[in-house]
Amino acid sequence: MNFLQVIFRGLWRRPVRTGLTVLGIAIGIAAVVALVGMSAGYEKSVANQLDAVGIDVVVSNLQGGIMPKAFAESVRDEIASLPGVAEANATLMQMLSVEEAPMMVVYGREWDSFTWDQLRVIDGRLPRDAAENAVVLGKLAAEVLGKKTGDRIQIETGDFDVVGIVDGQSVLENGAINMALPRFQEVSGYEGRVNFINIRVPDNADQSRVEALCREIEARHPGLRAVRAGEVVGTSQGFRMARAMSWSTSLLALIVGILGVMNTMLMSVFERKHEIGILLALGWRRARIMALILCESAAMGFLGGVVGVALGALTLAVLERTPYVRGFLEPDLGWVLAAQAVLIAVAVGIVSGLYPAWRSSRLSPSIALQG
Amino acid sequence: MSSAAMPPEGEILYEASGLTKEYDDGRVPALRGIDLLIRSGEFVTIVGPSGCGKTTLLNMLGLLDCPTAGTLRFRGTDLGALSDPASYRAREIGFIFQSFHLLPNFTVEENVQIPMFGLPGSAAEKRGRAAKLLASVGLAHRLDHLPVKLSGGERQRAAIARSLANRPAILLADEPTGNLDSTNSAHVMDLLLRLREEHQATLVMVTHDHELARHASRIVRIKDGEIISDEAAA
Repeated sequence: MNFLQVIFRGLWRRPVRTGLTVLGIAIGIAAVVALVGMSAGYEKSVANQLDAVGIDVVVSNLQGGIMPKAFAESVRDEIASLPGVAEANATLMQMLSVEEAPMMVVYGREWDSFTWDQLRVIDGRLPRDAAENAVVLGKLAAEVLGKKTGDRIQIETGDFDVVGIVDGQSVLENGAINMALPRFQEVSGYEGRVNFINIRVPDNADQSRVEALCREIEARHPGLRAVRAGEVVGTSQGFRMARAMSWSTSLLALIVGILGVMNTMLMSVFERKHEIGILLALGWRRARIMALILCESAAMGFLGGVVGVALGALTLAVLERTPYVRGFLEPDLGWVLAAQAVLIAVAVGIVSGLYPAWRSSRLSPSIALQG
Repeated sequence: MSSAAMPPEGEILYEASGLTKEYDDGRVPALRGIDLLIRSGEFVTIVGPSGCGKTTLLNMLGLLDCPTAGTLRFRGTDLGALSDPASYRAREIGFIFQSFHLLPNFTVEENVQIPMFGLPGSAAEKRGRAAKLLASVGLAHRLDHLPVKLSGGERQRAAIARSLANRPAILLADEPTGNLDSTNSAHVMDLLLRLREEHQATLVMVTHDHELARHASRIVRIKDGEIISDEAAA
């Protein structure tokens, strides 16, 4: 018989209670995995989208949260004229409720800009020109909306023809509705305004020159931020807020988990006072008894972590298919997040076991033997 | 200190001097200045009425409890100054309790292995020793049973096997037959005596049964926390 067997025998003596405690931790960990996975997934979706479109620098006003505030479209011309800018175009992006879909990303893209280039037509065609009253749907958006080429769709105050379905090569693009910028500005009430300027720099531009360009744009246009594409996610206040919210909500779930394990282990120490007395009488050191209690709670944490990661993955898989999320982000549950979640769960177990372990170490053997 | 029944050739194991134990801030005295010498190889019974302090004294010999005053030496070492009493219990002591105190979630064989934790030897060696000890108490067929499946006599035999698991110098037995009928009581006592001989352990047994006390080499009588007699058994 080894120490591990003693640990699991201790947990098995009250299987229902152990199971419920493990479930409590698992729910907390599932919340961590789901929330952080969603947040990380959204960040990944944005990063993938920028990569797919081939944008080097993004200019926006990110102080408004997830969705940047709109600013004058004329800024695009000023930026396009700067040295070191190969191409610049403007985009208006909004998250809107479209027909039955609770939330869809809608892009107004500048006509003839490179942001149309990565849209591969899989059915129908792209709009003929900026004036055509037409939209193309990303393939996921078409699925969510139940639309096909030739259908009509209402967006804000306008009715549009669906002229094509496209593969945008990223979840965010595939889940979006695309139309020419002037029409979207008109129907959404943002005439002459945009909220992104996408910049491409010459192929030979090194990072220091790109960085210098960003600083120059910010100096010329106070209130706007120019960020290299790879840094959009890391520097965005909105993303930081989403990340902080997901972790802080997770923290609440974890605190509940900690209290649950602590309660279980305290009950266990109280109930096993007699058993602890026997172990002390048989020559077990107090340190070994403490290690036993801590290992039991850590083991519950570990089991809760593993079950929690599985539950979290399941939650993400379900969420990915819901209308609120589908085509909007791709939940990201990597090995790193899974390992982090299990480590957090084990830490929860250990922290929760500290006080019960300390209590067990204070027991007098003769009194404990009396039960 | 009385020395009437001490075999002169035995090494002094325990030397208690003025051993006192009080509970409830001195309002409840349990032991009042006990002086006692126990030598290696002795079989000492401690007898007396309920509440006289027998178990308290036994607990102190096993370092399950600490004296309020007085000193207790083991092989010349002051037990009160030990930094690691668990190690003393693990190496030197084997406990046998009236209520058996087997761990209910462990098999009989595992119960016997519990005192071997932290002692040298491989898992296979420990398992083998547990099986051998259980065979010596007639429980070879009960290795994988949980204590709840055993009769009272079998449980106490398992507890006796467990008490020998760490090859102790001293067996401390607290009313080992107190929960058994007369037949089982006689079996357990015979077993205890045989194994004590085989393992050459010193046995200190608390009992209120004067018949059982007759098996001992020495009888210490306690009343109201004081030794009233200490003499060789008839």
